[in-house]
Amino acid sequence: MSQALIELSDLGFAWPGQAELLDIPAFTLQRGESLFLKGPSGSGKTTLLGLLGGVQKPQRGQIQVLGQNLSQFSAGARDRFRVDHTGYIFQQFNLLPFLSVRENVQLPCHFSRLRAQRARQRHGSVDQATAILLAHLGLDQPDLLERRADALSIGQQQRVAAARALIGQPELVIADEPTSALDADARAAFLQLLFAECREAGSSLLFVSHDQSLAPRFDRSLSLAELNRATQLAEI
Amino acid sequence: MYLLRLALASLGNRRFTALLTVFAIALSVCLLLAVERVRTEARASFANTISGTDLIVGARSGSINLLLYSVFRIGNATNNIRWDSFERFAEHRQVKWAIPISLGDSHRGYRVMGTSTAYFEHYRYARSQPLQLRVGRTFTDDPFEVVLGAEVAQALGYGLGEQIVLAHGVAPISLLKHDDKPFSVVGILARTGTPVDRTLHISLAGMEALHIDWQNGMPARGAAQVSAEQARAMDLQPKQITAFLLGLNSKIATFSLQREINEYRGEPLLAILPGVALQELWSLMGTAEKALFVVSLFVVLTGLIGMLTAILTSLNERRREMAILRSVGARPWHIAGLLVVEAFALALAGVLLGLLLLYLGIAGAQSYVQAHYGLYLPLSAPSGYEWRLLGAILAAALLMGCVPAWRAYRQSLADGLSIRL
Repeated sequence: MSQALIELSDLGFAWPGQAELLDIPAFTLQRGESLFLKGPSGSGKTTLLGLLGGVQKPQRGQIQVLGQNLSQFSAGARDRFRVDHTGYIFQQFNLLPFLSVRENVQLPCHFSRLRAQRARQRHGSVDQATAILLAHLGLDQPDLLERRADALSIGQQQRVAAARALIGQPELVIADEPTSALDADARAAFLQLLFAECREAGSSLLFVSHDQSLAPRFDRSLSLAELNRATQLAEI
Repeated sequence: MYLLRLALASLGNRRFTALLTVFAIALSVCLLLAVERVRTEARASFANTISGTDLIVGARSGSINLLLYSVFRIGNATNNIRWDSFERFAEHRQVKWAIPISLGDSHRGYRVMGTSTAYFEHYRYARSQPLQLRVGRTFTDDPFEVVLGAEVAQALGYGLGEQIVLAHGVAPISLLKHDDKPFSVVGILARTGTPVDRTLHISLAGMEALHIDWQNGMPARGAAQVSAEQARAMDLQPKQITAFLLGLNSKIATFSLQREINEYRGEPLLAILPGVALQELWSLMGTAEKALFVVSLFVVLTGLIGMLTAILTSLNERRREMAILRSVGARPWHIAGLLVVEAFALALAGVLLGLLLLYLGIAGAQSYVQAHYGLYLPLSAPSGYEWRLLGAILAAALLMGCVPAWRAYRQSLADGLSIRL
């Protein structure tokens, strides 16, 4: 089995009626690898993440995730594939404010039987997995589980979001500027925990940010601008 | 199941708008059901006004007019009929009983009806229920005795032995009073929920005595006045009455007797079948009643459109919620389903609250409505028809829920996982 988790080849994408936004000849993410992808806003990184999640379909080229060609799947199958194998952490306001912390963490298990099953296999039950993940991420106050998500600080919320991305050990965790709302200390601590948990779950981490200072902590660092021929052309 | 939990939690997060929406739907549902109940009861109590009477006979005019003044105490007779006409048909071999009715006077807005004791014996309402005395007795030989309907006694606070003065004519405020000949209350009827409750009953002799010294519609003056004592000694046989009710030995004879009365050569008479006339009258009022129903249907529609507006308005602020759900694996149809469930939950809560309001309202207003409008609103479970109405409201809500669902479906396809807020 190939060690590549994600393989893009000759990918081209444009929003309807617009010039081509992404033109990526080749891109690979290895299993278990942590990759820093630098991209300023407007560089097409959100679109790229959408493509990797199978929300959008490229006009040309191939996206292989876990050896499967996403373009061949139906929209529903792509949705299922995404939740089975990918956890997401966004910039901020990741959580549904009206659900408890526990319910937020367990959301993927309601939509993916595979993730729920893996969580049970590893920790005995989904509730157990939730508590353990949160404890690993430094959220081990007993009353916190049932608190409403919006009662937490931003830093705590991001860690809950990380727990949600990690529950059921997806092969890939995609983090889109998850630290931009945190101060420097919290940022470092958050990254530390995220790395540790990804390693523990065996997940690859694709971390997108414009903050170059974080790059040295990753296995590998790339700039979307280098990757993407379309922006290079636009810049010229 | 999990969608339901999510939808309820999300609604709970917007509980103020959600409550307002539910309340608007509840009020409209309550209104619709209340109108429906009043409508049904009004129709029933209307049909219950008179029963057991086979023919109503009066001077020739319209059948509805005759029904209105003889049974509902509304409007006036165009003409009186002669006593000998009444006698002739009262003694007809097909006739089992006859009740003479003489109208024209009033007491503080309530109609006074001159009649005979046959009225208390033979008049029937609802399902052949006879009139019953709550207290006292019916009038006897003394002409100046009055038997009150239940509402008259209650509204005016009269008890047995009360001396009351009748007024000439039927206007609420009458300048001509029969104050020289007061009547004493000898009986009060039990409540019937019909116009009987709003009537004062006196004997025909009493009616005659009141007007014995009147000339050309004016009371006599000076020496021409006849006192109550003098009147008692006089011949009080009435010469004319307003109408009469007939009960026949056999229903089969109804039509032939009706024809006979209508072709009577002594004077122009009109005989009507109360059931047919009631039907005609109801078909007149039916339009108003239908209009009321349609209006309340539109109120329900307004309530549902309010819900639709509230959900549609919330969609934009909830893009983030949708995107998060998408990122944790919700498919676009999950998002659509969430909104349909939400619409249905709002409507269901509205319907339930509406029912609660209805029953609270009925419980609170029951006695008042009965006392003032003669309508008995039962605290009964919703009828099959009402259940169907409620079902239709919920179905409409589901259908309306498809509009935001479709929009959210499109929106979540376009937005994907990106949050553009």
